[in-house]
Parts: sequence; structure tokens; C-alpha cells
Amino acid sequence: MPLAELDGSLLAAGIWGLAAAALLAALPVRAATGPLSSASRAAIARMLAIAASLALALVGGLGLAGITPAPLEWWPGLPGDPFTLGADALAAPFLMLLGILSAVSFVPKQQGASLALHAGFALALAAAFASQHALLFLLAWEGMTLLSAALVAHDTRSARARRAAFVYLALSQLGSAAMGFGLLRLAALAGSFAFSDLALALGRMAPNDAATIVWLMSAGFIVKLGLVPLHVWLPLAHPEAPAPVSALLSGAMVKAGLYGLLRFGWQMPGAPLMGWGVTLAVLGTLSALVGALYAVVEPDAKRLLAYSTVKHAGLLAMALGVAATLLRAGHVPLAGVALAACMVHMIGHGLSKGLAFFSIGEAVHAAGTRDLEKLGGLARRLPRLSVSALIATLALCGLPPFACFAGEWLLFQALILGFSAGAGVLRLIAPFTAAGLALATALSAAALAKLYGIGFLGRPRSAEAAAAHPAPAAFEWTLIALAILGVAWGLGAPWAVQALASPIAAVIGPGFDAAALAGYGGFTLAIPPATFASISPISVAVLIALFVAIAFAWATVLGYRLPVRRAPSWACGITLNSRMQYSALGLTKPLRLIFKPVLRHEREVEVLEEGSPYFARKYRYRAGVPHIVERIAYQPFVQVVFWASEQARRLQSGSLHLYLAYVLVTLVALLMWAR
Amino acid sequence: MNAALVVAQAVLLIALAPLLNGVIAALKARLQMRRGAPVWQRYSDLARLFHKESIVSTDASWLARVTPYIALGASLAVATWTPVLLAENGMSFAGDLVMTVALLALVRVLQSLAALEAGTAFGGMAASRHLALSALAEPALMLAAFTLAIAAHSTDLSKISRAVALAPHGWLSPSHLLALAAMWLVVVSETGRVPVDNPVTHLELTMVHEGLVLDYSGRHLALLEWAAAVRQMVLFTLLANLFLPWGIALEPGAAALGTAFAAWGGKLLVFAIAVAITESVTARMRLFRVPEFLGMAFLLSLLALTSDSLLRG
Repeated sequence: MPLAELDGSLLAAGIWGLAAAALLAALPVRAATGPLSSASRAAIARMLAIAASLALALVGGLGLAGITPAPLEWWPGLPGDPFTLGADALAAPFLMLLGILSAVSFVPKQQGASLALHAGFALALAAAFASQHALLFLLAWEGMTLLSAALVAHDTRSARARRAAFVYLALSQLGSAAMGFGLLRLAALAGSFAFSDLALALGRMAPNDAATIVWLMSAGFIVKLGLVPLHVWLPLAHPEAPAPVSALLSGAMVKAGLYGLLRFGWQMPGAPLMGWGVTLAVLGTLSALVGALYAVVEPDAKRLLAYSTVKHAGLLAMALGVAATLLRAGHVPLAGVALAACMVHMIGHGLSKGLAFFSIGEAVHAAGTRDLEKLGGLARRLPRLSVSALIATLALCGLPPFACFAGEWLLFQALILGFSAGAGVLRLIAPFTAAGLALATALSAAALAKLYGIGFLGRPRSAEAAAAHPAPAAFEWTLIALAILGVAWGLGAPWAVQALASPIAAVIGPGFDAAALAGYGGFTLAIPPATFASISPISVAVLIALFVAIAFAWATVLGYRLPVRRAPSWACGITLNSRMQYSALGLTKPLRLIFKPVLRHEREVEVLEEGSPYFARKYRYRAGVPHIVERIAYQPFVQVVFWASEQARRLQSGSLHLYLAYVLVTLVALLMWAR
Repeated sequence: MNAALVVAQAVLLIALAPLLNGVIAALKARLQMRRGAPVWQRYSDLARLFHKESIVSTDASWLARVTPYIALGASLAVATWTPVLLAENGMSFAGDLVMTVALLALVRVLQSLAALEAGTAFGGMAASRHLALSALAEPALMLAAFTLAIAAHSTDLSKISRAVALAPHGWLSPSHLLALAAMWLVVVSETGRVPVDNPVTHLELTMVHEGLVLDYSGRHLALLEWAAAVRQMVLFTLLANLFLPWGIALEPGAAALGTAFAAWGGKLLVFAIAVAITESVTARMRLFRVPEFLGMAFLLSLLALTSDSLLRG
């Protein structure tokens, strides 16, 4: 079929285009492309990358429409099967999301090593989603981690960035080790690297072996998805990378963990394992709560967005876990509803979080600081950028009719109907999951209101924020286009669910048709049969617009349409200054005090220089919220490791005779063991 | 016929919203041995505000001017699918219980952002308290909604109303009464009534919800006040017609509608009396005692859910 061949060539164009862009950006100055300056080489590389990303997005879109490309084959010179790349039904939405975000991420000016690493990172992500070969998947996974770690540490002078890259690499390698071990063992048992052969082998294996492999691989994917307690790298690493790369990290790489869970935890084994769903649901609820709570008390703008990613990753895991639990309990239609929630939210969150990192990242870059306590007044100085930032913020709060609402609504419906229909485990977890989801959503709304309200509204709190200059117009208009796309995804949620019918069917099987969730030809999102509830985001938007128009006309018809007068804010008669506004710390103080048993924020005041007995000359004030998971899980572990190494130091006495004795004893022991 | 009824119901709810505030104020005045303002006072206030000039801070962006319209639009949208006289509402395809809660959250977030626009301390204070208390009220509200939806097998407001109206003694079940108690506490918090917040306070340091409108004047303030009145009316109507739907019209018909109107008015009057007595007898609680109040609401709704699952088997 000609469309399938076109699709195949689009996929090839996408992959090779990104590779070419990376190479072109990475070439040293004195290369064969002498006449081109490094700036124009970077511009050409960026154009190439944008075109390649759009080709990938098109491949994903065509995959959703049912047109899958013929698999691409590439012989890397290794023995065995060639590396195969293809965009099947499950990979299509992920490729589409990656293509869109990647295309936007190359629009701002970048050059040199950053651009090369960025293009390489996008290439690794594309290869991971499109791979049909286990070894290629592993290589792409590792490449993804290493290239993004290099980008996280790109500002090598910052100790914070170096520490972030270290924690990121440590945890990711732990996850990759688990995942790689499981995958390679499966490939060894199957005798081949192709995904189809792996699926057959999993079906033929003994249940215990299959379970071990699936759990190992799931552990690796959970690290990448960023679920508690393995999420500590996310708030450290995502803020340190440049803003376009952060958007790809939060928007696309976190979804790679979800892709792995769907592919290797559900689709390949045929059905999810017992306890897999419940574990994911519980970890998801905890992640949502932890992410939202720490976002509330975070003063750094980009780290706040990273905690929000943890919250939404928790939501995705919740939806996936609930779907798996419902399927095991035998309720296939409800499992389909929860899975539809997961997929719709995956793309909605990807678009919104990408837009948030792009716009807010650019705004804090223009203002010169990431600290919310020094920002403010950016809405009047960067009008177009702040519109995108506002839409992204409102969408991430999970408010209708924006992009992240439909997934939450579908998940609530699945929980409510699952509670009344299900038995056992679901009866226990559904109320707490629903309450946890509601609390996490409300807390993250508070955190995001803090982000936009303190960062963009009011008066600038520092000279750098007052001097913020707008970004290039091309980038600002691209972000407005991405914002419109996100709003369209939210308004057209019924059509979006219909479009995601083939990926959902690829995972859950033929027992559920996602197109049944859209009623009245697509105007409403409804749970069949018609006795259950329905919503219509587009009708709600039309209603609100209608009432706004009526209110506006009413205010005019009353005849006294006085123009709005501008006047300075009233400051009780004293000169207005920027210190009179609320700070980020103060805005969320009630929540910080209410959640004190969990947050345990610390405050330390130290007198550095004594003056008189009543007034010191210099103080040092330190306040902070240590992360609960680090306090409970990681610090004891680190302390044990240090204690063990202290004990091991006793072996290092410095005496050569003792070291020779160690060698002799080890040799004798090995010889006895090998016999 | 049905479309006209839908429009008429929505207009009724919107038009009578300020009257509910007036009735509560008149009852409080009586209780406090004052003459008080007439019940139509709120309408005169709104008319006066519409004719006044609207002043916006020089530090505010376009969001401050747009928020009153969107707040009113979203509140009115919620009013269209609330069951007022008829249990079956033609607009239920557009929104259900979860959409209602989410639209109220949209208004809350936009109003908090608008309060930070002028860059004054009182706006920030109101925004911070509003966000904190609403965040705690959400889980209690969601669980109470959960309990209702499980009993009726749907989150559709019409279906819930009809299911509770048709069940012979459904409203007497412990889960229903516990959910009603939890919902009452949440509604008191969301509408800013004593003991969570004093709606007639003049002291900015004690304001929780009223502080959000301190920087508004003229027609913008009128729109925000009307939106708040509509939201209060919607929440009380939901309490009346979802938990205690006696008298609601199951089929459109003149007699049924007349009964439904009288029943609705009667229930709202009972709620108004309860609110007036509470406001005259109790004092507003300390801000950091309100989480305990909302925690009690959460516990009640959790108990409602547990008793529902225990009694259902």
C-alpha cells in the first residue's frame, strides 16, 4: 500500500534526519564544511532536526489512523538479526508526542555541543519508541540516559548540576541494570532479539520465570517513570538541563517509562501479572501526593515543574494500575476506560508540561533567575510568553476544558464504577486512590497558582526581572501554536479518545472499543451504556463563552459603559514597593504548616557577629524542607554504606606482608572452590 | 418544551441567587434584634455597582479584567445542569458531578491568580488562605460525591437525584446521612460561612474568601459578587436536590413543577435558617483550626463510604 511505504520513508527520514542533525552540530570547527560558520551550521542542523521531528510526528499520527509502516532494517554488522525499527499501534502515540515536542524544542537558538547532545537525545528517544529489536531498545535506553545526563551537567561549574547528574546516572543505571537483565535473559530464553519472538517466549515460559522477568523489567521502567521512592533524581535533574531539553525530559522521557510498562508489563505477557496493578496504583497514589506536596513548598520555578511531573507520573501509574487490576478482576470495559484515561492523559500532560517548560523556562531565562522570590511582573513584560505560560499552568492543574482534565475524569469514572462492580482489592484501594487523587490535584493547583501568581503577576521583585526582554517572535508564536494544540486536545477529548482506539486495543485486546466512549458523534465523552455519566468539554467551553458574551452585553446595555481606569495599587498611603507583595514562601505557608508532620521543615538561625547583648550584627538564617523520601529511604542506606566502608578501612593496614597474606588466602580459597 | 424548561430553570437559579443572601441577612438581623436591610438589598447593591466606575491596578495584566467574566461564565454553566425543579435536566450531557467540582476549582484558581495581580499584601493573604482551605476541602467533597455516585451508579446529577427520589427509604441509610453531614460541612467552607469565614467582616486580616475581591470595583465587582451568589445557590440546591429530593418533579407537568418549586423554596429556607442561626450563635474559628473541621468532613465521608460498602455486602 503506497501510504505504508510513504510512512516507512517518513520514519527513515525522521531517524536519519535527527542523526544527521546531531553529526552536523557536533562537527569541529575546522571540518570539511569550512565556508559555513558555526552559527549557520547550527541553524541548518536545527532546521534538519525540526523537519525530522515533524516527520516522526506524522508517522505517529498515521499510526493512530491505522497505517503502520513496513519495518526498517539496519544491519549494524553484529551477528544475528538486523536492528528493526517500526511504529506499531502502541508506539504511535508516543512517537507523535515526541515528534511534536522535539520539533518545538529545536526552535530556540542553540549551537555546539549542546545542540549535538540535544539532537542525539531526541534520536535515542525516537529509537527507543520505534525499536522492535531488544538490543537496539537497550542501546537506545542507555543512550537516552547518558546523553541527557550530559545535558543536565552542561553547566559544569555548578556543583548542584554535577550532583544532579550523579544522582540521575546512579538511579538510572540501577534501573537499566534491572531492566537490561530481565530483557537480556528473556532474549536468551527466546533465542532471538525480535519483539515478536520475545512475546511468544513469554507465553511459553513457566509462570514463575515469566513473573520474575516482568517484575525486573517493571522495576527499571518505574525508575524512568519517576515513581516514589525511586523518583529523587527527577526534581534534581530536570531543572538543571536547558529549558528545551527539560521539556523533552518531562514531556517525553518520563513517558518512555510508561511505554516500557505497557509494552513489557502488559502487552508482551498478554495480561498483567497478579499484584502488578495494585503495586502501580499504590506507588502512583504516593507519588502523586509526594509530588504535589513538595511542589507546594518549592521556591525554584523549574524544580516546581519537575515535582509536578512526579505528580502526573503518579497519576499515569495510578490509571495503569487501576486498569490492570480491573482486567484481572474480569471487568474488561472498565479496564478499557482506565487505560483510555492513561493514554489520553499521557499525551495531554506531555503537551502541557512541554509547553510549561518551554514558556516558563524561556521566561526565567529572560529574567535571569529561577528563584520565584526574585521574579514577578513578567506578565506585563513578556505578554505572549505569559499567555502560553498561563494556558500551560491552567492545563497542568487539571482544570476543564484544558488538556489534562479528560484523563482525570475517565479515571474517576473507572474508580467509581470499579468500586461498585469490583470485589476484594479494588474495594480497598479505590476510595483512597480517589481521595489521594483529589488531594494531589488540589495541592498541585495551589503550587501552580503560586508559580504563575508569584512568578508572572504583580510587580518585579528584582532588577533582573524588571529588565526581562521577550524571546524571538518565532519561538513565541510556536509556543502559542503548541498552546492551541493543547487546548484543542482538551476540547476535543472525545475525538482524542477515539483516535487512541488502536493503541488501547493493542494492549487490552479486542474486548473493548475505545470509540464507544465518545457519544453523540464525538461531542461528549460518555461511559456506555447510556445510563452512566457523560461530559462534553466543547459544550462547556461554548456555554462559558456564551455567558461571558451575555455578561459583557449586559454591562454595555446598562448604558453606563464607563472605561476601565488604571490607578496604582493602594498601599495604605505609603510608597508602593515590590516588597509589599506576598512572597512564594508566604503564599504557601498555611499549607506548609498544615502538613508540618510530613514536611518537617527546618529552620536554623545562627548569630555570626555579636553586637550589643540585644542586637547582633550578623545573622545566618537557613530554612529548608528536606525531602521525606531522601530522609526515610536514602539517608539510612547511605549511612550503612559509609559505615561498611569505615569497617573495610581496617583491612588497609599499610603492611605489605598483610597484603601478601590476603593474596595467598584468596588464591587458596579460589583453588579449593574451583576444584 | 424541554429546552424552554432548561432555560427557565437556569434563569430562576441565577435570578434568585442574590435573594438567598438577602434572606439569610434578614434572618440574622431578626435574630440579632435589629431591623436589618430588606431582602432585596443585594439587587440594589448589584445595580449600584454596575453603574460605578471600575478601577484596575496599573500592575495588573489582562487576567484581572477577564477573570470576573470567566468566573461568572463558569458559575452559570454549572447552574445549567443543576437539577432545580426537574430531576431530568436536558443539559446533563455536558456536565456531571466531577465536572461541577472541576469548574468550581477553575473559578477558585483564576480568582486566586487575580488576587495576586494588584501586588497588595491583602490579595496575597486571601489567595494563600483560599488555596489552602480549598485544597483540604477537595478530598472530602470528592469522597462525598463518590458515595452518592456509587449509590446511584452514576455521577450524572439527574440520575442521582432521580435514584434517591425513587428509592423508598434510600435517604435514611447511614451512608446517605453521613455523606449529607460531610457535604454540609464542605458547603459551609466553600461558601465562606461561619465558622470557617465571616462573610460580613470588614477586617482584611480575618478575610478568607472576601479578600479575593478587595481590588475590584464597579461592574467587575458586581460580576464577581453575582458569581459567588450563584455558586452558593448551586451548592445549596445540590444539597437539597441530591440528598433530600422530596417534591422534585420527575416528569414535566404544571402541578409537579409547582410542587417542586415550593419544595425547593422550602428546603432553601430551612438551609437559610440553619445558616443564620449558626452565624449568630457561633464564632468564626481560628484559621489553623479549619483543617480539623475539614478533616472531620473527610472522616465523615470516609465513614459514609465504608458503611455503604459494609451494608451492600
